[in-house]
Amino acid sequence: MSQQPERGDTGLAGLDCAPGETLLSVRDLRTYYESGDLIGGQPVKAVDGVSFDVKKGETIGVVGESGCGKTTLGRTLVRLEAATGGEVRVGSDDVTELSGEDLKAWRRNAQVVFQDPESSLNDRMTIGEIIREPLDVHDWGTPAERRARVRDLLEKVGLQEEHYYRYPHQFSGGQRQRIGIARALALEPEFVVLDEPVSALDVSVQAQILNLLMDLQDELGLTYLFIAHDLSVVRHICDRVAVMYLGNVMELGPTDELFEDPANPYTRALLSAVPEPDPTAEIDRMTLRGTPPSPRDPPEGCAFSTRCPVKIRPDGSDEVDESTWEAVEVFRETLRARSRTERSLSERARELIGLETRFATVDEVVGELFTDRDIPVSVKEPVDQAADLAREGDEDAALEHLKGELGSVCDHESPEDHAVGTEGRESRCHRHAAEYEEPSAVGPSVGGED
Amino acid sequence: MAADANATGVDERRSSARQTQSDDVDAAESADDRLLEVENLRTVFHTERETIRAVDGVSFGIEEGETLGLVGESGSGKSVTARSIMGLVDDPGELLPGSSVRFDGRELTDLTEKGYESVRGSGIAMVFQDPLSTLNPVYTVGNQIEEALSLHRGLSGIDATEKAIELLEDVGIPDAARRVSEYPHEFSGGMRQRAVIAMALACDPDVLVCDEPTTALDVTIQAQILELLSDLQAEHGLSILFITHDMGVIAEVADRVAVMYAGEIVEQAPVVELYENPRHPYTRGLLRSIPSTQQGAERLETIAGEVPTPNKAATDCRFAPRCPEAFDACEEVHPVPVPVEEGAEDHTAACLLYPEDEPRKAAVDRHAAAGDEDSPESAGSTGGDSR
Amino acid sequence: MSAVDYPVDEDEQTLLERIQDEPGPALKLLAVVVPLFAVEFGAVASLVMSLPWSAVGSALPGFLQGLAGALAGVGDALANLPTLLSRSVIDNSGYQLPSGEWVGTTLGLSPAVAWLLRVLLVYAYGFAWMAVGWWVYLVYRDNYRYADWAPVDDMVNRFRNHSWGLLGLAIIFAFVVLALFAPALGPTTVEANISDPYLHTVEYFDEEAGSVQEIYVGDANRDSQSRGQGGDNVGPLSYDQFGRFHPFGTLPSGKDLFTFMAAGARVSLFIGVLSLLIAGGIAVTFALATAYYKGLVDLGVVIASDSIQSLPQLLFIMLASFVLSGTWLANLYSGGVVLALLFGFTGWPGLWRAVRGPALQVSEREWIDAAKSFGQRPSVTMRKHMLPYVVGYLLIYASLTLGGVIIGVAGLSFLGLGINAPTPEWGRAVSAGQPYVPTQSWHISLIPGIMVVIVVTGFNALGDGIRDAIDPQSDVGTGQQDESAAAGGGA
Repeated sequence: MSQQPERGDTGLAGLDCAPGETLLSVRDLRTYYESGDLIGGQPVKAVDGVSFDVKKGETIGVVGESGCGKTTLGRTLVRLEAATGGEVRVGSDDVTELSGEDLKAWRRNAQVVFQDPESSLNDRMTIGEIIREPLDVHDWGTPAERRARVRDLLEKVGLQEEHYYRYPHQFSGGQRQRIGIARALALEPEFVVLDEPVSALDVSVQAQILNLLMDLQDELGLTYLFIAHDLSVVRHICDRVAVMYLGNVMELGPTDELFEDPANPYTRALLSAVPEPDPTAEIDRMTLRGTPPSPRDPPEGCAFSTRCPVKIRPDGSDEVDESTWEAVEVFRETLRARSRTERSLSERARELIGLETRFATVDEVVGELFTDRDIPVSVKEPVDQAADLAREGDEDAALEHLKGELGSVCDHESPEDHAVGTEGRESRCHRHAAEYEEPSAVGPSVGGED
Repeated sequence: MAADANATGVDERRSSARQTQSDDVDAAESADDRLLEVENLRTVFHTERETIRAVDGVSFGIEEGETLGLVGESGSGKSVTARSIMGLVDDPGELLPGSSVRFDGRELTDLTEKGYESVRGSGIAMVFQDPLSTLNPVYTVGNQIEEALSLHRGLSGIDATEKAIELLEDVGIPDAARRVSEYPHEFSGGMRQRAVIAMALACDPDVLVCDEPTTALDVTIQAQILELLSDLQAEHGLSILFITHDMGVIAEVADRVAVMYAGEIVEQAPVVELYENPRHPYTRGLLRSIPSTQQGAERLETIAGEVPTPNKAATDCRFAPRCPEAFDACEEVHPVPVPVEEGAEDHTAACLLYPEDEPRKAAVDRHAAAGDEDSPESAGSTGGDSR
Repeated sequence: MSAVDYPVDEDEQTLLERIQDEPGPALKLLAVVVPLFAVEFGAVASLVMSLPWSAVGSALPGFLQGLAGALAGVGDALANLPTLLSRSVIDNSGYQLPSGEWVGTTLGLSPAVAWLLRVLLVYAYGFAWMAVGWWVYLVYRDNYRYADWAPVDDMVNRFRNHSWGLLGLAIIFAFVVLALFAPALGPTTVEANISDPYLHTVEYFDEEAGSVQEIYVGDANRDSQSRGQGGDNVGPLSYDQFGRFHPFGTLPSGKDLFTFMAAGARVSLFIGVLSLLIAGGIAVTFALATAYYKGLVDLGVVIASDSIQSLPQLLFIMLASFVLSGTWLANLYSGGVVLALLFGFTGWPGLWRAVRGPALQVSEREWIDAAKSFGQRPSVTMRKHMLPYVVGYLLIYASLTLGGVIIGVAGLSFLGLGINAPTPEWGRAVSAGQPYVPTQSWHISLIPGIMVVIVVTGFNALGDGIRDAIDPQSDVGTGQQDESAAAGGGA
């Protein structure tokens, strides 16, 4: 029996659309990992409500920092992880719910190229066996045809036929990544998830692999989901880009526009942080403070609200100067860090018998942040009350108090996706709403604007 | 060469090794103003089958307050260079005789482990790529900084703790008084790297060797760390040897750049000069193969082939097999660093195409002559090859 | 584009075709293997014929029974072919005339020399097979394998340079030969000397009567006892008064210790290997399943293994073998099967724990994800992508555990709980000789005791060698670079 992956015989009707039409439609996708604890524990919200379309024949990039959920998103699309909610539509089918023959058809048409070429090839198998395995699994052709196909693939990815009987150990990182690509292409998939395919490679080799990927796309009409943390690589290869932060897509749009005129504050910060290989480039850098919050316990409002440099201030705080406001944010960040810290047994005991613990130094923090400052009463009172609460060891209450008194819409409401720029661009930020100033009007200029 | 050394000291010795170069070079490189001077560094690793020449004749110097960027792909020997400077090369690796690392005029290569301790403590400190493996997971961050403080500054008890908190504040860790008693796993990646930098600063070094300090970090965190390093440099007058594979980071932090390939420095120049006017074909290829956030999709240029692993003393140009501009002589003559043209003493390239303003034949002869002068010494030091 | 467009690939041939293309090396190999096999063909045939064929034969339909009968006749004939290593080729039983001349032995050699010759011949034969095995690997690697380098080559090379491991291999191989060729190696046989001494006789020259007499082995044994101080003693490398040579001396009952040891090696090896097959099989299956599925499966096996490990293994085995002592199971192979089962079913948690780590490590590799992503079946993924990495570790721990099983069986037999008398077992020899250790009959306990130590050490050394050969940590870091550099070529 030979099931040939011919066009028009993909097994899933939705895959046979014309180039430019929507191939995959991701709607409110959520993937949570259960916490390791047996009792209670918050799940890790790796992907938390992501929606976008993938058009046939395009390369859509997913960028973000480590832990933003981009890899989990890719793995969910190819069913390596089970979705917690939402759907991934291919025509009339929902990928997250496929089973049996339909799932097999999806697996044949959605492949992955992994990040680490050292780990993605079984080094006790020859290259030929590795690339042949998907063909064997799907009963593709006769054994002789499979071997011929493997040789053909080897040539296609820039290796030689005689590499068939070599082992992965005998290849360099770049060559191994080529083998990984050949394996992913063996079944002639429609859709390939490229999970950081070049981040483990040196620049000169990285360029070879990027060129290869682009050539293969032209030749085979592939659709790529390109996951990366390296923005320059994404700019180079992607048609559209989704910027992820803490399980959310913050901004989505055509690559050139997004890079030249980033709308979302996070995109702007991310772009400005990339060092350019040009020592004369003057970048007005927006250095973000702190680190992303834990995906176990994301902020209630906007995911980026804890680090956002252009966060909306609450009404009536206009007279507060910038540095004081930043001190308030740092204070909140510190309290958050404290409330996340687990108290050891000995610390709890010290607390009980009234000895000094490392948590009792909140006055120092307050002193450091707020002395020598002319703080208006509207800020001073909530800060003092929060400090009191924190002194008693209840950081969570202190945080709630600060949020209630000094929080703005960014702290309370999750922002909508606002259409920005030309058609098909979206950005998830409260500042796009009519009543606020645009992020670009507030922060320093970034990207190609200058 | 050894005979020269005991009679005439540092300067003479250097110039004898470089006699073939113009006298101007010697003048420009006078060792006085250089805090750290690495000269003909050769570090080899003996394996069962062969001897890997990980660093093969590397020379550079760092002035006070300067940042030298050392850039290269994996396997080019840049990390081994750092470890050699720090005296951290262990069996089966060794520094070949003739290698010299001078810090503040003091030769480090013949120091004992104990002597090195004192240098590592107070003169040169190192920041590694992976902060998690630099920090011991069973001690608090404070403990580890305090240990460094007690070793190198004799502080202990409350004094040490206070100083540790101060250092953590210096590197921008908020709530340092509490953080000081936390364990490394309670820190995020960027915070850990800050803590490692605090540890390095605990001994008040003059030179900071940073081996890919931001490679493991996200770009927004990388930006924070780069900012921190530049602040610290301004504050403490640090000299920094910054090692990375990222041409973008180098462009941002370095004053001068040395490009490494297969254990050798192939080009060295001030940062703006190097990026605007790269001369060595490898540097050019490297710069052209970087995709940029400023430009859209076009085909990237690539360098064919792979970085070789040098296991023999070079008799040819190690880049020749991949070089688009190679000519016959490239396979017979080992190039030495020379100024790229008359008067450009601070821009050197180890390539037979240079000096550009000399006739090719003369230039090749100049490289060949320099190589011959080196060869007795290198032949004597490559005994391991025959194994 | 469909699969049919691809030209049928003619490049890849089966191993047989490759050999046909270049028969030289294979023929040379065959020229050595065939004679080597032929000289022992009778032994193999008799082993085959000793299986319970009659049961199979009677189940066959009528017209086949005739055929089966004919086959059986041929088989019996083959089984009776003389073999090189049988006792009759170099016979060491005979008697000495007052003139010093030996009668009955091959070529009139003294029994000691005849026996030694036979032992040397057996070991030469055994090691010849070992050399052939190595040769087969070389011929396959150099002539018939497509890949010019495979990861296993590096492991073999590392093992070859591991002298401690090689010593272990030599000891274990010698032990296995002792077990396999036990009937040919002993100066006499178990039936004749140990189990049925009153059904066999020996001839000896009676000096008083001045003539050759025949006596039951049992009666002769009574006069060749080793009973320590003041009593009789037949020590190592000595003759008894019936002209029988005892390389290791005799037991207190007068039976030959070497024959006893050789047969005991079979029992020990059987129990050790069978119990480890059981334990290893369970351990690997569980390790792969727990590493692949994790979660609840893992938890379940952890609980099961912890419960078993909380039992004191030897005490439990003693109890169980006592409980089972009356049943049919206890009579299989003189209780050896019961011991193997008990050791197997109580021993797997240790092995499982040892290979669980490596299995978990492999399960985290991206190639497992890759296999999942194109829909490989879990069972195949476990077998193809995980098992090869786990099986090496299993070998290490199995060889380390095997020593423990041998000690355990010896210990149980020492206590009288293991192998039923009269089936030989090393522990029983130690036990029997215990009262005589400080006397001239020291050999009864000490020789078997030292043998246990040597064999267990051998298994440990072999395990060490395998570990150093397969453990990627023992790879010199730069070794991998060399290989990729050597591969060269465009990326």
